[in-house]
Amino acid sequence: MPASQLSRSRRPKWHYVAVGVGLIAVAVALTVAWQILAAPASVGSRAFGPARVVAYFFGSLLFLLLIAGLVLIVILLLREVRLNERQSNFVSAVTHELKTPVASLKLYLDTLEYRELAPDRRAEFYRTMRQDIERLNTTINNVLSAAMYTDRPVAAPRPLDLARLARRAVDLTLNRFQLPREAIRYEGPDTLRVSGDPQALETAVLNLLDNAVKYSRDRLLVEIEVWGDADGQAHLRVRDHGIGMSRTHLPFIFTRFYRIGAEVRRSRAGTGLGLFIVRSIVKGHRGTITADSPGPDRGSTFTISLPGLLGPEAEGDGAAAHA
Amino acid sequence: MPRLLLVEDEEHLAAGIRFNFELDGYEVETIGDGLRAVERLAPAPEGPGWEAGPRIDLVILDVMLPGLDGFQIVERMRQAGNYTPVLMLTAKGLPEDVVQGLEAGADDYLPKPFDLPVLLARVRGLIRRRDWARAPSEGPALVRVGDAEVDFPNFALRKGDEIVPLTLLEAMLLKLLVERRGQVVTKAEILEKVWNLNPHTETRAVDNFVMRLRRHVEKDSRKPLLLQTVRGVGYRLADEPPPSA
Repeated sequence: MPASQLSRSRRPKWHYVAVGVGLIAVAVALTVAWQILAAPASVGSRAFGPARVVAYFFGSLLFLLLIAGLVLIVILLLREVRLNERQSNFVSAVTHELKTPVASLKLYLDTLEYRELAPDRRAEFYRTMRQDIERLNTTINNVLSAAMYTDRPVAAPRPLDLARLARRAVDLTLNRFQLPREAIRYEGPDTLRVSGDPQALETAVLNLLDNAVKYSRDRLLVEIEVWGDADGQAHLRVRDHGIGMSRTHLPFIFTRFYRIGAEVRRSRAGTGLGLFIVRSIVKGHRGTITADSPGPDRGSTFTISLPGLLGPEAEGDGAAAHA
Repeated sequence: MPRLLLVEDEEHLAAGIRFNFELDGYEVETIGDGLRAVERLAPAPEGPGWEAGPRIDLVILDVMLPGLDGFQIVERMRQAGNYTPVLMLTAKGLPEDVVQGLEAGADDYLPKPFDLPVLLARVRGLIRRRDWARAPSEGPALVRVGDAEVDFPNFALRKGDEIVPLTLLEAMLLKLLVERRGQVVTKAEILEKVWNLNPHTETRAVDNFVMRLRRHVEKDSRKPLLLQTVRGVGYRLADEPPPSA
Protein backbone atom coordinates (compact mmCIF):
# COMPACT_ATOMS: atom_id res chain seq x y z
CA MET A 1 0.00 0.00 0.00
CA PRO A 2 1.33 3.45 -0.85
CA ALA A 3 0.45 4.77 2.58
CA SER A 4 2.79 2.27 4.16
CA GLN A 5 5.42 3.02 1.48
CA LEU A 6 5.31 6.67 2.41
CA SER A 7 5.59 6.02 6.09
CA ARG A 8 8.37 3.51 5.44
CA SER A 9 10.43 6.13 3.67
CA ARG A 10 10.28 8.29 6.80
CA ARG A 11 11.13 5.55 9.19
CA PRO A 12 14.71 5.46 10.44
CA LYS A 13 17.04 3.24 8.50
CA TRP A 14 17.01 0.28 10.85
CA HIS A 15 17.63 -2.11 7.99
CA TYR A 16 21.16 -0.71 7.56
CA VAL A 17 21.82 -1.66 11.14
CA ALA A 18 20.45 -5.13 10.35
CA VAL A 19 22.88 -5.42 7.41
CA GLY A 20 25.73 -4.44 9.73
CA VAL A 21 24.75 -7.07 12.29
CA GLY A 22 24.49 -9.63 9.46
CA LEU A 23 28.00 -8.72 8.29
CA ILE A 24 29.34 -9.18 11.81
CA ALA A 25 27.76 -12.63 11.90
CA VAL A 26 29.40 -13.51 8.56
CA ALA A 27 32.78 -12.24 9.78
CA VAL A 28 32.48 -14.31 12.96
CA ALA A 29 31.56 -17.39 10.92
CA LEU A 30 34.55 -16.82 8.62
CA THR A 31 36.84 -16.41 11.61
CA VAL A 32 35.66 -19.68 13.08
CA ALA A 33 36.14 -21.38 9.69
CA TRP A 34 39.64 -19.88 9.47
CA GLN A 35 40.47 -21.19 12.90
CA ILE A 36 39.39 -24.69 11.91
CA LEU A 37 41.09 -24.70 8.52
CA ALA A 38 44.31 -22.88 9.26
CA ALA A 39 45.04 -23.81 12.86
CA PRO A 40 48.01 -26.14 13.35
CA ALA A 41 46.85 -29.70 13.92
CA SER A 42 48.57 -29.71 17.25
CA VAL A 43 50.38 -26.90 18.94
CA GLY A 44 54.08 -26.98 18.12
CA SER A 45 53.59 -29.52 15.36
CA ARG A 46 56.71 -29.89 13.25
CA ALA A 47 54.75 -30.24 10.03
CA PHE A 48 53.73 -26.63 10.55
CA GLY A 49 56.42 -24.38 9.10
CA PRO A 50 57.17 -20.93 10.60
CA ALA A 51 55.68 -19.19 7.53
CA ARG A 52 52.38 -20.92 8.16
CA VAL A 53 52.45 -19.99 11.83
CA VAL A 54 53.02 -16.34 10.92
CA ALA A 55 50.22 -16.49 8.33
CA TYR A 56 47.92 -18.07 10.88
CA PHE A 57 48.75 -15.46 13.50
CA PHE A 58 48.31 -12.46 11.19
CA GLY A 59 45.25 -13.97 9.58
CA SER A 60 43.59 -14.38 12.97
CA LEU A 61 44.57 -10.84 13.91
CA LEU A 62 43.14 -9.54 10.66
CA PHE A 63 39.86 -11.31 11.27
CA LEU A 64 39.62 -9.94 14.77
CA LEU A 65 40.35 -6.43 13.51
CA LEU A 66 37.69 -6.87 10.86
CA ILE A 67 35.12 -7.89 13.47
CA ALA A 68 36.12 -5.06 15.79
CA GLY A 69 35.87 -2.58 12.91
CA LEU A 70 32.46 -3.84 11.91
CA VAL A 71 31.19 -3.67 15.49
CA LEU A 72 32.46 -0.10 15.76
CA ILE A 73 30.76 0.90 12.51
CA VAL A 74 27.47 -0.68 13.58
CA ILE A 75 27.60 1.13 16.94
CA LEU A 76 28.23 4.45 15.21
CA LEU A 77 25.47 3.73 12.74
CA LEU A 78 23.09 2.92 15.56
CA ARG A 79 23.88 6.27 17.17
CA GLU A 80 23.29 8.09 13.90
CA VAL A 81 20.00 6.29 13.39
CA ARG A 82 18.83 7.24 16.88
CA LEU A 83 19.89 10.85 16.44
CA ASN A 84 18.16 10.92 13.07
CA GLU A 85 15.00 9.61 14.66
CA ARG A 86 15.13 12.20 17.42
CA GLN A 87 15.80 14.94 14.92
CA SER A 88 12.82 14.02 12.80
CA ASN A 89 10.74 13.94 15.98
CA PHE A 90 12.07 17.40 16.78
CA VAL A 91 11.10 18.76 13.37
CA SER A 92 7.67 17.27 13.88
CA ALA A 93 7.38 18.75 17.37
CA VAL A 94 8.57 22.21 16.33
CA THR A 95 6.26 22.16 13.31
CA HIS A 96 3.40 21.41 15.66
CA GLU A 97 4.53 23.91 18.30
CA LEU A 98 4.86 26.72 15.76
CA LYS A 99 1.91 25.96 13.55
CA THR A 100 -0.69 25.29 16.23
CA PRO A 101 -0.58 28.77 17.80
CA VAL A 102 -0.29 30.36 14.35
CA ALA A 103 -3.35 28.40 13.19
CA SER A 104 -5.20 29.46 16.32
CA LEU A 105 -4.20 33.13 15.89
CA LYS A 106 -5.32 33.06 12.29
CA LEU A 107 -8.61 31.42 13.16
CA TYR A 108 -9.39 34.05 15.82
CA LEU A 109 -8.29 36.90 13.56
CA ASP A 110 -10.51 35.54 10.78
CA THR A 111 -13.37 35.21 13.24
CA LEU A 112 -12.89 38.80 14.42
CA GLU A 113 -12.82 39.94 10.82
CA TYR A 114 -15.79 37.99 9.47
CA ARG A 115 -18.19 37.86 12.42
CA GLU A 116 -20.15 40.43 14.35
CA LEU A 117 -19.11 39.86 17.93
CA ALA A 118 -20.25 41.10 21.31
CA PRO A 119 -17.58 43.08 23.22
CA ASP A 120 -17.11 40.43 25.93
CA ARG A 121 -16.62 37.78 23.25
CA ARG A 122 -14.02 39.96 21.56
CA ALA A 123 -12.20 40.41 24.87
CA GLU A 124 -12.20 36.63 25.35
CA PHE A 125 -10.74 36.14 21.87
CA TYR A 126 -8.02 38.71 22.53
CA ARG A 127 -7.06 36.82 25.68
CA THR A 128 -6.85 33.57 23.73
CA MET A 129 -4.70 35.22 21.09
CA ARG A 130 -2.36 36.67 23.68
CA GLN A 131 -1.84 33.17 25.13
CA ASP A 132 -1.07 31.86 21.65
CA ILE A 133 1.56 34.54 21.16
CA GLU A 134 3.02 33.63 24.54
CA ARG A 135 3.25 30.00 23.44
CA LEU A 136 4.94 30.94 20.16
CA ASN A 137 7.39 33.12 22.05
CA THR A 138 8.28 30.27 24.39
CA THR A 139 9.01 27.93 21.50
CA ILE A 140 11.14 30.52 19.74
CA ASN A 141 13.06 31.27 22.95
CA ASN A 142 13.66 27.58 23.52
CA VAL A 143 15.07 27.06 20.05
CA LEU A 144 17.28 30.15 20.45
CA SER A 145 18.41 29.15 23.95
CA ALA A 146 19.36 25.68 22.73
CA ALA A 147 21.68 27.30 20.21
CA MET A 148 22.96 29.93 22.65
CA TYR A 149 23.72 27.95 25.81
CA THR A 150 26.43 25.44 25.22
CA ASP A 151 28.31 23.40 27.78
CA ARG A 152 31.13 25.96 27.63
CA PRO A 153 31.82 27.73 30.95
CA VAL A 154 29.89 30.94 31.54
CA ALA A 155 31.94 33.80 30.07
CA ALA A 156 31.51 36.38 32.83
CA PRO A 157 30.01 34.94 36.01
CA ARG A 158 28.78 37.52 38.50
CA PRO A 159 27.22 37.39 41.94
CA LEU A 160 23.51 36.78 41.94
CA ASP A 161 20.81 35.90 44.42
CA LEU A 162 19.55 32.41 43.59
CA ALA A 163 16.72 32.64 46.13
CA ARG A 164 15.39 35.83 44.60
CA LEU A 165 15.86 34.41 41.12
CA ALA A 166 13.82 31.33 42.09
CA ARG A 167 11.00 33.46 43.59
CA ARG A 168 10.91 35.60 40.47
CA ALA A 169 10.69 32.47 38.29
CA VAL A 170 7.78 31.29 40.47
CA ASP A 171 5.94 34.61 39.94
CA LEU A 172 6.54 34.50 36.19
CA THR A 173 5.28 30.93 35.97
CA LEU A 174 2.20 31.61 38.10
CA ASN A 175 1.43 34.57 35.90
CA ARG A 176 2.06 32.73 32.66
CA PHE A 177 -0.23 29.81 33.47
CA GLN A 178 -2.70 31.97 35.43
CA LEU A 179 -2.27 29.81 38.53
CA PRO A 180 -3.27 30.46 42.14
CA ARG A 181 -0.43 31.44 44.49
CA GLU A 182 -0.52 28.12 46.37
CA ALA A 183 0.14 26.06 43.21
CA ILE A 184 3.90 26.67 43.49
CA ARG A 185 5.43 26.71 46.94
CA TYR A 186 8.84 28.27 47.60
CA GLU A 187 10.97 27.09 50.45
CA GLY A 188 14.38 28.48 51.31
CA PRO A 189 16.33 31.44 52.63
CA ASP A 190 15.63 35.04 51.69
CA THR A 191 18.92 35.27 49.87
CA LEU A 192 21.41 32.73 48.63
CA ARG A 193 24.26 34.22 46.72
CA VAL A 194 26.08 32.32 44.03
CA SER A 195 28.24 33.26 41.11
CA GLY A 196 26.84 32.72 37.63
CA ASP A 197 24.92 34.03 34.65
CA PRO A 198 21.56 35.30 36.02
CA GLN A 199 19.75 35.25 32.69
CA ALA A 200 20.85 31.70 31.88
CA LEU A 201 19.97 30.44 35.35
CA GLU A 202 16.56 32.06 35.20
CA THR A 203 15.94 30.29 31.89
CA ALA A 204 16.94 27.00 33.51
CA VAL A 205 14.64 27.46 36.52
CA LEU A 206 11.76 28.63 34.32
CA ASN A 207 12.15 25.55 32.14
CA LEU A 208 12.03 23.27 35.18
CA LEU A 209 8.94 25.03 36.55
CA ASP A 210 7.35 24.98 33.12
CA ASN A 211 7.80 21.21 32.90
CA ALA A 212 6.54 20.71 36.44
CA VAL A 213 3.30 22.57 35.61
CA LYS A 214 2.93 21.00 32.16
CA TYR A 215 3.36 17.45 33.40
CA SER A 216 1.12 17.81 36.45
CA ARG A 217 -2.24 16.26 35.98
CA ASP A 218 -5.12 17.06 38.35
CA ARG A 219 -2.92 17.68 41.32
CA LEU A 220 -1.07 20.87 40.56
CA LEU A 221 1.34 21.35 43.42
CA VAL A 222 4.95 22.24 42.68
CA GLU A 223 7.59 22.73 45.35
CA ILE A 224 10.77 24.64 44.73
CA GLU A 225 13.46 24.55 47.33
CA VAL A 226 16.76 26.43 47.52
CA TRP A 227 19.58 25.84 49.98
CA GLY A 228 23.33 26.06 50.39
CA ASP A 229 25.57 23.46 51.93
CA ALA A 230 28.83 23.42 53.88
CA ASP A 231 30.81 22.33 50.79
CA GLY A 232 30.17 25.66 49.11
CA GLN A 233 27.48 24.34 46.81
CA ALA A 234 24.09 25.88 46.14
CA HIS A 235 21.16 23.59 45.39
CA LEU A 236 17.80 24.13 43.78
CA ARG A 237 15.16 21.43 43.70
CA VAL A 238 11.87 21.40 41.81
CA ARG A 239 9.40 18.70 42.72
CA ASP A 240 6.00 18.02 41.20
CA HIS A 241 3.26 15.49 41.83
CA GLY A 242 2.50 14.94 38.17
CA ILE A 243 2.76 12.16 35.65
CA GLY A 244 6.38 11.25 36.47
CA MET A 245 8.09 8.72 34.25
CA SER A 246 9.38 5.19 34.24
CA ARG A 247 13.01 4.64 35.20
CA THR A 248 13.92 3.59 31.66
CA HIS A 249 13.50 7.17 30.43
CA LEU A 250 15.55 8.84 33.17
CA PRO A 251 18.98 8.42 31.54
CA PHE A 252 17.80 10.04 28.31
CA ILE A 253 15.64 12.99 29.33
CA PHE A 254 18.48 15.53 29.14
CA THR A 255 19.36 14.48 25.61
CA ARG A 256 18.59 16.96 22.87
CA PHE A 257 15.23 16.35 21.14
CA TYR A 258 14.38 13.48 23.48
CA ARG A 259 10.67 13.14 24.16
CA ILE A 260 8.76 10.27 25.67
CA GLY A 261 6.38 8.52 23.29
CA ALA A 262 5.57 8.90 19.59
CA GLU A 263 5.36 12.46 18.26
CA VAL A 264 2.11 11.96 16.40
CA ARG A 265 0.28 10.86 19.55
CA ARG A 266 1.71 13.61 21.69
CA SER A 267 -0.54 14.86 24.43
CA ARG A 268 1.64 17.70 25.71
CA ALA A 269 3.19 20.61 23.96
CA GLY A 270 6.95 20.75 23.75
CA THR A 271 10.00 20.48 21.54
CA GLY A 272 12.31 18.14 23.45
CA LEU A 273 14.69 21.01 24.12
CA GLY A 274 13.70 22.22 27.60
CA LEU A 275 15.73 19.86 29.75
CA PHE A 276 18.59 19.83 27.26
CA ILE A 277 18.83 23.60 27.71
CA VAL A 278 18.72 23.26 31.50
CA ARG A 279 21.53 20.74 31.43
CA SER A 280 23.64 22.90 29.08
CA ILE A 281 23.23 25.90 31.37
CA VAL A 282 24.05 23.90 34.49
CA LYS A 283 27.11 22.38 32.82
CA GLY A 284 28.20 25.88 31.79
CA HIS A 285 28.19 26.68 35.52
CA ARG A 286 30.19 23.50 36.23
CA GLY A 287 27.22 22.25 38.16
CA THR A 288 25.25 19.03 38.01
CA ILE A 289 21.61 18.21 37.46
CA THR A 290 19.83 15.06 38.49
CA ALA A 291 16.35 13.78 37.80
CA ASP A 292 14.37 11.29 39.76
CA SER A 293 10.93 9.80 39.57
CA PRO A 294 9.53 6.90 41.58
CA GLY A 295 7.54 5.90 38.48
CA PRO A 296 4.64 6.92 36.24
CA ASP A 297 2.00 9.04 37.98
CA ARG A 298 4.24 9.55 40.99
CA GLY A 299 5.81 12.90 40.22
CA SER A 300 9.33 13.97 39.30
CA THR A 301 12.13 15.76 41.10
CA PHE A 302 14.92 17.74 39.48
CA THR A 303 17.89 18.96 41.48
CA ILE A 304 20.45 21.46 40.29
CA SER A 305 23.70 21.78 42.23
CA LEU A 306 26.01 24.71 41.56
CA PRO A 307 29.49 25.36 42.92
CA GLY A 308 30.46 28.90 43.71
CA LEU A 309 28.28 29.60 46.72
CA LEU A 310 29.19 33.07 47.96
CA GLY A 311 29.17 34.31 51.52
CA PRO A 312 26.31 36.64 52.48
CA GLU A 313 28.49 39.72 52.31
CA ALA A 314 31.14 39.09 49.69
CA GLU A 315 33.39 41.96 48.89
CA GLY A 316 32.70 44.10 45.89
CA ASP A 317 29.24 42.59 45.58
CA GLY A 318 27.34 45.78 45.14
CA ALA A 319 29.56 46.99 42.36
CA ALA A 320 29.44 43.67 40.54
CA ALA A 321 25.69 43.25 40.92
CA HIS A 322 25.06 46.57 39.29
CA ALA A 323 27.65 46.07 36.60
CA MET B 1 -29.27 20.71 11.33
CA PRO B 2 -25.99 19.02 10.29
CA ARG B 3 -24.02 17.58 13.17
CA LEU B 4 -20.22 17.71 13.21
CA LEU B 5 -17.82 15.78 15.34
CA LEU B 6 -14.67 17.80 15.97
CA VAL B 7 -11.68 15.74 17.13
CA GLU B 8 -9.06 18.29 18.22
CA ASP B 9 -6.93 18.35 21.36
CA GLU B 10 -5.77 21.97 21.11
CA GLU B 11 -8.31 23.83 23.23
CA HIS B 12 -8.02 27.17 21.47
CA LEU B 13 -8.50 25.70 18.02
CA ALA B 14 -11.35 23.47 19.17
CA ALA B 15 -13.15 26.40 20.79
CA GLY B 16 -12.65 28.68 17.77
CA ILE B 17 -13.79 26.09 15.24
CA ARG B 18 -16.76 25.14 17.36
CA PHE B 19 -17.78 28.77 17.81
CA ASN B 20 -17.79 29.38 14.05
CA PHE B 21 -19.71 26.28 13.06
CA GLU B 22 -22.30 26.82 15.77
CA LEU B 23 -22.77 30.34 14.49
CA ASP B 24 -23.45 28.83 11.05
CA GLY B 25 -26.14 26.59 12.47
CA TYR B 26 -24.27 23.31 12.92
CA GLU B 27 -24.44 21.15 15.98
CA VAL B 28 -20.90 20.48 17.15
CA GLU B 29 -19.66 17.66 19.35
CA THR B 30 -16.02 17.91 20.50
CA ILE B 31 -13.61 15.16 21.52
CA GLY B 32 -10.05 15.91 22.63
CA ASP B 33 -8.27 12.59 22.41
CA GLY B 34 -7.74 9.79 19.95
CA LEU B 35 -8.94 6.86 22.02
CA ARG B 36 -12.24 8.50 22.88
CA ALA B 37 -12.71 9.43 19.24
CA VAL B 38 -12.30 5.80 18.23
CA GLU B 39 -14.78 4.74 20.90
CA ARG B 40 -17.27 7.10 19.36
CA LEU B 41 -16.49 6.44 15.68
CA ALA B 42 -15.31 2.85 15.54
CA PRO B 43 -16.22 1.06 18.76
CA ALA B 44 -15.47 -2.59 19.41
CA PRO B 45 -17.88 -4.90 17.56
CA GLU B 46 -19.40 -6.39 20.71
CA GLY B 47 -20.59 -3.01 22.08
CA PRO B 48 -23.27 -0.80 20.60
CA GLY B 49 -22.31 0.22 17.05
CA TRP B 50 -21.16 3.70 16.12
CA GLU B 51 -24.69 4.33 14.90
CA ALA B 52 -25.85 4.17 18.54
CA GLY B 53 -24.96 7.79 19.36
CA PRO B 54 -26.50 10.82 17.65
CA ARG B 55 -25.94 10.64 13.87
CA ILE B 56 -22.82 12.49 12.73
CA ASP B 57 -22.76 14.08 9.29
CA LEU B 58 -19.10 14.91 9.13
CA VAL B 59 -15.94 14.45 11.17
CA ILE B 60 -13.24 17.14 11.40
CA LEU B 61 -10.17 15.23 12.50
CA ASP B 62 -6.81 16.50 13.72
CA VAL B 63 -3.77 14.28 13.02
CA MET B 64 -1.63 14.80 16.12
CA LEU B 65 -3.76 13.58 18.99
CA PRO B 66 -3.05 12.01 22.34
CA GLY B 67 -3.69 8.28 22.44
CA LEU B 68 -4.21 7.53 18.77
CA ASP B 69 -3.36 9.60 15.70
CA GLY B 70 -5.81 10.78 13.08
CA PHE B 71 -4.58 8.39 10.38
CA GLN B 72 -5.23 5.42 12.64
CA ILE B 73 -8.64 6.76 13.62
CA VAL B 74 -9.84 7.12 10.05
CA GLU B 75 -8.50 3.65 9.19
CA ARG B 76 -10.31 2.11 12.14
CA MET B 77 -13.49 3.95 11.19
CA ARG B 78 -13.44 2.54 7.68
CA GLN B 79 -12.64 -0.95 8.97
CA ALA B 80 -15.60 -0.71 11.33
CA GLY B 81 -17.82 0.19 8.39
CA ASN B 82 -18.20 3.84 9.35
CA TYR B 83 -18.11 5.79 6.08
CA THR B 84 -19.00 9.22 7.49
CA PRO B 85 -17.08 11.89 5.49
CA VAL B 86 -13.85 12.93 7.20
CA LEU B 87 -12.01 16.23 6.81
CA MET B 88 -8.48 16.03 8.20
CA LEU B 89 -6.81 19.09 9.72
CA THR B 90 -3.14 19.00 10.43
CA ALA B 91 0.02 21.02 10.94
CA LYS B 92 1.75 18.83 8.39
CA GLY B 93 0.93 20.16 4.96
CA LEU B 94 3.46 18.45 2.68
CA PRO B 95 1.97 16.78 -0.39
CA GLU B 96 2.90 13.33 0.94
CA ASP B 97 1.07 14.10 4.19
CA VAL B 98 -2.02 15.05 2.21
CA VAL B 99 -1.77 11.86 0.19
CA GLN B 100 -1.19 9.77 3.32
CA GLY B 101 -4.33 11.22 4.87
CA LEU B 102 -6.42 10.62 1.79
CA GLU B 103 -5.11 7.11 1.37
CA ALA B 104 -5.84 6.33 5.01
CA GLY B 105 -9.47 7.03 4.13
CA ALA B 106 -10.03 10.74 4.71
CA ASP B 107 -12.24 12.55 2.20
CA ASP B 108 -10.59 15.93 2.35
CA TYR B 109 -7.53 17.49 3.91
CA LEU B 110 -6.75 21.00 5.09
CA PRO B 111 -3.30 22.02 6.36
CA LYS B 112 -2.98 24.35 9.38
CA PRO B 113 -3.01 27.28 9.45
CA PHE B 114 -6.16 27.50 7.36
CA ASP B 115 -8.46 30.32 6.29
CA LEU B 116 -11.73 30.28 8.17
CA PRO B 117 -13.87 30.81 5.03
CA VAL B 118 -12.01 27.92 3.37
CA LEU B 119 -12.71 25.60 6.29
CA LEU B 120 -16.39 26.53 6.31
CA ALA B 121 -16.58 26.08 2.53
CA ARG B 122 -14.80 22.73 2.60
CA VAL B 123 -17.25 21.39 5.17
CA ARG B 124 -20.24 22.67 3.20
CA GLY B 125 -18.63 21.17 0.08
CA LEU B 126 -18.14 17.76 1.66
CA ILE B 127 -21.72 17.64 2.85
CA ARG B 128 -22.87 18.74 -0.60
CA ARG B 129 -20.64 16.19 -2.33
CA ARG B 130 -22.04 13.50 -0.07
CA ASP B 131 -25.54 14.51 -1.07
CA TRP B 132 -24.49 14.59 -4.74
CA ALA B 133 -22.88 11.15 -4.56
CA ARG B 134 -25.97 9.87 -2.78
CA ALA B 135 -28.48 11.23 -5.26
CA PRO B 136 -29.32 9.02 -8.23
CA SER B 137 -27.93 10.76 -11.34
CA GLU B 138 -30.71 10.05 -13.74
CA GLY B 139 -32.98 7.07 -13.85
CA PRO B 140 -32.95 4.44 -11.15
CA ALA B 141 -31.14 4.74 -7.85
CA LEU B 142 -29.38 1.45 -8.50
CA VAL B 143 -26.85 1.53 -11.31
CA ARG B 144 -25.58 -1.69 -12.78
CA VAL B 145 -21.84 -2.06 -13.23
CA GLY B 146 -20.94 -5.58 -14.37
CA ASP B 147 -22.30 -8.06 -11.89
CA ALA B 148 -22.66 -5.46 -9.19
CA GLU B 149 -25.24 -2.82 -8.53
CA VAL B 150 -24.23 0.53 -7.12
CA ASP B 151 -26.58 1.89 -4.51
CA PHE B 152 -25.50 5.54 -4.46
CA PRO B 153 -28.02 6.73 -1.83
CA ASN B 154 -26.63 4.19 0.63
CA PHE B 155 -22.98 4.37 -0.42
CA ALA B 156 -22.91 0.67 -1.13
CA LEU B 157 -22.17 -1.80 -3.85
CA ARG B 158 -24.46 -4.83 -3.97
CA LYS B 159 -23.18 -8.04 -5.46
CA GLY B 160 -25.70 -10.83 -4.98
CA ASP B 161 -26.18 -10.97 -1.22
CA GLU B 162 -22.92 -9.22 -0.50
CA ILE B 163 -22.98 -5.52 0.36
CA VAL B 164 -19.72 -3.63 0.04
CA PRO B 165 -19.75 -0.19 1.70
CA LEU B 166 -18.17 2.66 -0.27
CA THR B 167 -16.38 5.71 1.04
CA LEU B 168 -17.50 9.12 -0.16
CA LEU B 169 -14.50 9.28 -2.50
CA GLU B 170 -15.14 5.80 -3.92
CA ALA B 171 -18.77 6.64 -4.51
CA MET B 172 -17.79 9.91 -6.17
CA LEU B 173 -15.21 8.23 -8.38
CA LEU B 174 -17.71 5.61 -9.44
CA LYS B 175 -20.37 8.20 -10.00
CA LEU B 176 -18.05 10.26 -12.21
CA LEU B 177 -17.23 7.18 -14.28
CA VAL B 178 -20.88 6.10 -14.49
CA GLU B 179 -22.01 9.55 -15.59
CA ARG B 180 -19.37 9.56 -18.34
CA ARG B 181 -19.80 5.92 -19.25
CA GLY B 182 -17.95 4.97 -22.42
CA GLN B 183 -15.72 8.04 -22.28
CA VAL B 184 -12.22 8.40 -20.93
CA VAL B 185 -11.98 10.38 -17.70
CA THR B 186 -8.45 11.70 -17.17
CA LYS B 187 -6.58 11.12 -13.95
CA ALA B 188 -6.12 14.88 -13.58
CA GLU B 189 -9.87 15.41 -13.74
CA ILE B 190 -10.47 12.67 -11.20
CA LEU B 191 -7.91 14.19 -8.82
CA GLU B 192 -9.49 17.59 -9.20
CA LYS B 193 -13.16 16.61 -9.02
CA VAL B 194 -13.12 13.73 -6.60
CA TRP B 195 -10.07 14.36 -4.44
CA ASN B 196 -10.13 18.12 -4.63
CA LEU B 197 -6.39 18.00 -5.28
CA ASN B 198 -4.13 19.81 -7.68
CA PRO B 199 -4.35 17.75 -10.94
CA HIS B 200 -0.55 17.43 -11.02
CA THR B 201 -0.33 15.73 -7.62
CA GLU B 202 1.87 12.64 -7.70
CA THR B 203 -0.20 9.92 -6.10
CA ARG B 204 -1.26 6.36 -6.64
CA ALA B 205 -4.50 7.04 -4.78
CA VAL B 206 -6.68 6.95 -7.90
CA ASP B 207 -5.09 3.72 -9.14
CA ASN B 208 -5.54 2.13 -5.72
CA PHE B 209 -9.18 3.12 -5.58
CA VAL B 210 -9.78 1.76 -9.09
CA MET B 211 -8.04 -1.47 -8.11
CA ARG B 212 -10.31 -1.85 -5.10
CA LEU B 213 -13.41 -1.16 -7.16
CA ARG B 214 -12.26 -3.68 -9.77
CA ARG B 215 -12.11 -6.41 -7.18
CA HIS B 216 -15.82 -5.92 -6.64
CA VAL B 217 -17.09 -5.42 -10.17
CA GLU B 218 -14.76 -7.37 -12.44
CA LYS B 219 -14.82 -11.12 -13.01
CA ASP B 220 -11.01 -11.09 -13.08
CA SER B 221 -9.61 -7.92 -11.56
CA ARG B 222 -6.24 -8.44 -13.29
CA LYS B 223 -7.91 -8.45 -16.68
CA PRO B 224 -10.42 -5.64 -16.27
CA LEU B 225 -13.12 -5.46 -18.89
CA LEU B 226 -15.32 -2.84 -17.27
CA LEU B 227 -13.05 -0.41 -15.45
CA GLN B 228 -10.48 0.00 -18.18
CA THR B 229 -7.14 1.74 -17.86
CA VAL B 230 -6.38 4.06 -20.74
CA ARG B 231 -2.60 4.13 -20.43
CA GLY B 232 -1.12 7.50 -19.70
CA VAL B 233 -4.53 9.16 -19.76
CA GLY B 234 -6.98 7.84 -17.23
CA TYR B 235 -9.86 5.45 -16.86
CA ARG B 236 -13.00 4.51 -18.72
CA LEU B 237 -16.04 2.59 -17.64
CA ALA B 238 -16.95 0.33 -20.59
CA ASP B 239 -20.42 0.76 -22.10
CA GLU B 240 -21.34 -2.77 -21.33
CA PRO B 241 -19.37 -5.95 -20.97
CA PRO B 242 -17.95 -7.08 -24.33
CA PRO B 243 -19.70 -10.20 -25.69
CA SER B 244 -16.66 -12.35 -25.04
CA ALA B 245 -16.87 -11.76 -21.31
